[in-house]
Amino acid sequence: MSNKYLPHIHVLAEDDANRQIANGFMLAPNLNNRAVKVLPLPGGWKKTVEEFTKEYASQMRQLPERRMVLLIDFDNDENRFNYVESHIPEDLKARVFVLGVLSEPENLRTDIKKTFEEIGEALAKDCSDNKNELWGHHLLKHNKRELDRMATSVKPFLFK
Amino acid sequence: MLQRIYVNNFRCLENFELLIKGMPSALLIGKNGAGKSTIASALEVLQKISRGINRMRDLEKLNLISPKDFARGRSDVPIRFEIEVLLQDQLYKYVLALELPEKFRELRVFEEQLLVAGEPIYSRKEAQVTLHIGSQNREAQFMVDWHLVALPVIQEQSESDPLHIFKTWLARTIILAPIPSLMTGDSNGETLEPKRDGSNFGEWVSGLLSRYPAAYTQVDKYLREVMPDIQDFLNELIGKDSKSMMVRFAENNANLSIEFNDLSDGEKCFFLGAVILAANKFYGPLFCFWDEPDNYLSLSEVGHFVMSLRRSFNNSGQILVTSHNEEAIRKFSNENTFILDRKSHLEPTLVRLLSDVPVRDDLINALIGGDIEL
Repeated sequence: MSNKYLPHIHVLAEDDANRQIANGFMLAPNLNNRAVKVLPLPGGWKKTVEEFTKEYASQMRQLPERRMVLLIDFDNDENRFNYVESHIPEDLKARVFVLGVLSEPENLRTDIKKTFEEIGEALAKDCSDNKNELWGHHLLKHNKRELDRMATSVKPFLFK
Repeated sequence: MLQRIYVNNFRCLENFELLIKGMPSALLIGKNGAGKSTIASALEVLQKISRGINRMRDLEKLNLISPKDFARGRSDVPIRFEIEVLLQDQLYKYVLALELPEKFRELRVFEEQLLVAGEPIYSRKEAQVTLHIGSQNREAQFMVDWHLVALPVIQEQSESDPLHIFKTWLARTIILAPIPSLMTGDSNGETLEPKRDGSNFGEWVSGLLSRYPAAYTQVDKYLREVMPDIQDFLNELIGKDSKSMMVRFAENNANLSIEFNDLSDGEKCFFLGAVILAANKFYGPLFCFWDEPDNYLSLSEVGHFVMSLRRSFNNSGQILVTSHNEEAIRKFSNENTFILDRKSHLEPTLVRLLSDVPVRDDLINALIGGDIEL
């Protein structure tokens, strides 16, 4: 049984690469397994935003302890974050986070020679250890503002 | 950690090699009849031998292996099993080849060998076994009935004897395709060797808690996550040597006791999962093969359950699972998912890592469409 009235987070990963990164993140030994769920793949960043606004936003309003991460590719598009953020309803903004690789996960994988799962594991370790090693990579460092927000809103229940 | 499984001429497995070196967890997917469960059957033959069932006709009585199992009846070629496993930083290799000479009704051993780091511990050709003893590389030879596998009958010298280390590891491997209705929670003894159908689950719980009492905390911790209203579980004496499990729930000052046997099928699987995690922690590292761990679970639980297993085995031990369930499949990634495929019942199983197979569409859509072929 999962208690949806306790703090938890749902991850909407845009594609298979991001899903595998999320899998790796969830292998962290001290992760609160029951507090995270990765939802079926929308298939593309635009569909991710659409599904969130059409389907998941209303559910979030019923469940004040639910947070959501939209895991998207930024495809080197400077305006994408602002575009996505502008589609998040004002009353939910504090509980929705937009993360992703600056270009796409395949580039990060090639650059650091890790599998997607290993990338996810390394990112989780950074979070758990309060470090910024992989998160500081030039393809990931733009996530800092969102990570700072998550540190207060998500981290306290995400790790045991 | 198991690194390699090789099987030849056993049912649909011909010249079949599964390389899982460095994978703490891996998934096997493929259509019905592709050969996923046959891999479990091959491993179970070796597991049962290490547990002491080493007469060919006794293995046949358990429906594990028989003369019918030569691939397409090809009994002029031996059935061959090989496993390579890293234990205490040493590579162990065990080889067993079985044959059926003309006019024989029972399989017999054609070849058998156990090597550690490339050095033979013992080797065997037909009835003759050669023991390679100690650093002076002395040899001793003796004869064994051709229908008996030698592994369980060779005397171990000590707990540090490689033979003991390998046999204990193999005997404690967990191969599961549980049938919850057979998991009653009753026991008439203790074991650390669960059966494939889970029917001796009560004995396993008794064995685990008797030898490792602290394992209760680990089991309890997991169960509280999935069933927040559980209070505790008891394994009470109900006769001279018999025990029965009771599960107690509590909420809002109300209590309820339920016999383990009366839990739902999915709840029994939660207990099974909890005991596996505890076993791996307390007497592991263990190898576990679970055929469809998502069976009997609600969709909301499948992902949590599979991820718990993967996380638990990530630093110690190894788990191999099969699945047809979308949620379970999505909890694995391209580098630890193997696709199995057969062109027809007349052709053998093929296997490839998902990362080596071009899948244009979403994997689940491709699986639903039956579009993945090797």
